[in-house]
Amino acid sequence: MADAGAALRIDRATVAYDGTPVLQDVNAQVQPGETVALIGPNGAGKSTLIKAVLGLVPVASGTITVLDRSPVAARRDVAYVPQADTLDPEFPISVAQVVLMGRYRRVGWLRRPGRTDRHIATEALDQVGLADRAKARFGTLSGGQRQRVLLARAIAQRPRLLLLDEPFNGVDALSQDALLTAIAALKQQGAAVVISTHDLTLAHLACDTACLLNGHMYGFGPVHDVLTPDLLRATYGSQALELRGDRVIVARP
Amino acid sequence: MHAVLVEPFTTPFMGRALVELLLLAALAGVVSTFVLIRRLGFVADTMTHTVFPGVVIGFLAGGTGGVFPGALVAAAVTAALLTLLTRSRRVTDDTALAVLLAAMFAVGVILVSRRSSYSADLTAFLFGRLLAVTATQLVQTAVVGAVVLLTLALLAKELRLRAFDPQSAAATGYRVWLLDLLLNMSVALVVVAAAQSVGTILVVALLVVPAATGRLLSDRLAVIAAVGVVAAAAAGYTGLVVSYQASVTYGTRLASGATVVLALVGLYLLALLVPPSRRLVGRLTRRRRLADAVA
Repeated sequence: MADAGAALRIDRATVAYDGTPVLQDVNAQVQPGETVALIGPNGAGKSTLIKAVLGLVPVASGTITVLDRSPVAARRDVAYVPQADTLDPEFPISVAQVVLMGRYRRVGWLRRPGRTDRHIATEALDQVGLADRAKARFGTLSGGQRQRVLLARAIAQRPRLLLLDEPFNGVDALSQDALLTAIAALKQQGAAVVISTHDLTLAHLACDTACLLNGHMYGFGPVHDVLTPDLLRATYGSQALELRGDRVIVARP
Repeated sequence: MHAVLVEPFTTPFMGRALVELLLLAALAGVVSTFVLIRRLGFVADTMTHTVFPGVVIGFLAGGTGGVFPGALVAAAVTAALLTLLTRSRRVTDDTALAVLLAAMFAVGVILVSRRSSYSADLTAFLFGRLLAVTATQLVQTAVVGAVVLLTLALLAKELRLRAFDPQSAAATGYRVWLLDLLLNMSVALVVVAAAQSVGTILVVALLVVPAATGRLLSDRLAVIAAVGVVAAAAAGYTGLVVSYQASVTYGTRLASGATVVLALVGLYLLALLVPPSRRLVGRLTRRRRLADAVA
């Protein structure tokens, strides 16, 4: 029996785009304070799974339960961090304004963020080490810094479930550390975190659990049990390269 | 000096034209800011062409008094249609918009061409009659402007989130299509408000150039909108003075609406000359970055 209180429960879920199944028969359970790495090649369905958890893509069969509610009903307590490079760097908006967006849902329609919201946003920005860049235009920051700002926006939302789409792609070492520290702090506070990534080292560093995906699920469990050469080869197929017989290197896109 | 800059507006038709342009400036400065951040320039242009047949049908059905309701209906229909079109991913936006633009424009032209005063009517619908603005039109512009500005003020933060990061807006539960519809309606209403004075074609300048000018001078949305309002108002005033003096003093007829548009574009070109280091907001952050670099 699935226990109540899980941050995320996925039961035999199949997700389809325009009638074509992208992900089939996914089963997973994520507890509060647990960090899960979604691992798989490009087009494996990682982003689709994240979208399904956000309620942006319908589940064709099976169920996805977020914080004991439907994905749509749970949105208030779920934060999503997109890849920074999907956002327009020319957009006229300051770093502080981006972080403040994390408060919009709680502020509600027709009202403006108040002093408490600003305070929470400033704290969140501080947590990712960018408090001194609050007034800069978002687009003037480096890719890694922008990714941190987006994480700060999610932190300001005070989520119980955090979903990150490839947060470490093209991110410098300094920003990577800042992201890992902030994610660890969220986990400490009891938030469940799901991170899609290509980086197996970072999956080991940041996550307790790994979920191997490529059309369907190839493995789900503790990182050390799941990120094994055999399972990775099965997941990645020809995109996995062997190194010295026992290690697997996964080709990046 | 007084005779050149102030006296023209003591004539009632010039005074009304100025008031109309100032109302439109307040409206266009703000709406164009959202057009800018949503990159709706082509959508706005499409609307100018799709409202046109509404103007014609309104005029054919009810004379001058029918123009406003006709434009209003056309605006509501196009705003809804464009929201639907831009939502479906199967049609490339540009193609769908261009087809719609051309088709609706042709419908308008065919309808006008059935009248005996064909070319005079066409000119009035396309380029407006700024110096023939009536008190009723001023009230219509003011009401439309108030409704649009109030809507945009209340939804400013949601519209900005939607423009910046639509996926996150949807993920946090905002109905993106509803925000899109409301913004498209606002843009269409500007076309409606300006249809009789500036004309359905030239209004695209009001929907694009004010905020484009503001963007050259600032990174901040509120400042961009403010600069847009001021630029549009300044252009309205300058354009009227220039066209008036040209015709009264020099006997050269300059179409007033087009002169206003050129004045607006002139301000945009002037703003282009401002070096990035002297821009309104860039300055503070740049000084700061310099300090960072030195430290």
